[in-house]
Amino acid sequence: MKNIYTALIAILLGIGALSAQDIFMVDSSYVHFFSEATLENIEAENNKAKGLINRANSKVAFLIPIKSFEFDKALMKEHFNENYMESEKFKTATFKGQINEKINWKKSGTYVVTVTGIINVHGVEKSRTIKGKLLVKESRIRVQTKFELKLVDHNIEIPTVVFQNIAEEIDVTVDLQFSPKK
Amino acid sequence: MKHPLLVLALIVASINLNAQDDLLDMLEAEVPTENYRVGPTWKTMKLVNLHSTSMVKKNGLDFRVTHRFGSLGEKSGGGVHNLYGLDISDDIRISFDYGITEDLQIGIGRSKFSELIDGSIKYKILAQKEKKAPITIVVFGNMAITPQKAIDTRYDDWQNRMSYFSQLIIARKFGERLSFELAPGFLYRNLVLKTTDGDGVTAEDENANISLGFGGRFMITKRFGIIMDYVYTISDYRSNFRPINYYDPFGVGIEIETGGHVFHITMTNSAGIVANNYIPNTTANWGDGGMKLGFNISRVFQF
Repeated sequence: MKNIYTALIAILLGIGALSAQDIFMVDSSYVHFFSEATLENIEAENNKAKGLINRANSKVAFLIPIKSFEFDKALMKEHFNENYMESEKFKTATFKGQINEKINWKKSGTYVVTVTGIINVHGVEKSRTIKGKLLVKESRIRVQTKFELKLVDHNIEIPTVVFQNIAEEIDVTVDLQFSPKK
Repeated sequence: MKHPLLVLALIVASINLNAQDDLLDMLEAEVPTENYRVGPTWKTMKLVNLHSTSMVKKNGLDFRVTHRFGSLGEKSGGGVHNLYGLDISDDIRISFDYGITEDLQIGIGRSKFSELIDGSIKYKILAQKEKKAPITIVVFGNMAITPQKAIDTRYDDWQNRMSYFSQLIIARKFGERLSFELAPGFLYRNLVLKTTDGDGVTAEDENANISLGFGGRFMITKRFGIIMDYVYTISDYRSNFRPINYYDPFGVGIEIETGGHVFHITMTNSAGIVANNYIPNTTANWGDGGMKLGFNISRVFQF
């Protein structure tokens, strides 16, 4: 009997240990957005995005610090933070969701997936299903996606006095690389 | 509880699984938050009279046109016949300021008031951050020359045309809407006048003046706010010499930002726009209708 318990304990502890290995964390990130405008296009890059993938249940979570978006023009960055994103109040944009397809994490390859979850931008949550690519290779995972973000969905106001016409939709490109979380 | 170890193992395992349930919470706990600079304390580099701690961004060129009409009230030279000062221009200044780095800017400007040409430098020593740095500190310095025609011997020595102003500006942004600043300044003019009053008492103006500026802004919406400033000057000559009455500049205004442009519509009793003019030469006061309507347009070109 005793041996069985010992074995059970070992298994349970083992599950704990195993599942920890199922967590992957972003070690390199690239997020880019682009908005077409009449006077000049607006675009920015961010290399400070963070993310986690749990292989055990195919759940994902991403977080982007708004103030880390870098623009070509510093004044644009100031306006982006102060007037549009209100980054003093809403410091991050986040996404948490579930991969809908079954992934064989053990097998290297490229998987086209859809992820359903909640995206939070400018403090406003929206349920979305986003299509993306998952590249699995040994102990690395890479996530690539491109999607559109409607400003109106997240209560981001375009003031009428602004001389430059700003597009209602923003194209977002995401490329994240994951390695096992230590 | 026959087998506490088993229970413990179950708890450990379940905690482990639970923790992974909300990845986002886990992520937020994991990510060290960077100590960012607090968002812009001001929208543009000047309030009504005072300089703010705001700077032109790196590779940005701020082109500004500032205008002061004449006094509004009849007692101070305004009234209906010059449309409450609108027919008069007490001062007009055109200036260019360029951001060399995020924290260093240089500028040049020309005023109608004493035809003053000024070159200035502004440097940010400390920026207010989310943690640890509660204030912004900026140093400002200028050098100004008046190329006026000499009507007597006063400009025989060209150095008499020079004046210098330096200021330390300490500001803090309190939350989303309110910003405040304190600005001790030092003005030095090479040439000051000796004046004799009706009783034959002669008084000589001071070359050096210490001043203390207070400025504030309150945002009503994200792009519309109220600005205000007051500059107190320590001067024996100004407080005691009576043939000319001197006053401290007090200005109020509204600020409108349109993304690229910042507009000010102001009301102040100072005629001069540059400190070298408004600190020693403000002779109108609000009580006698000596306030002047003014505006300021700032357009930033970002290269």
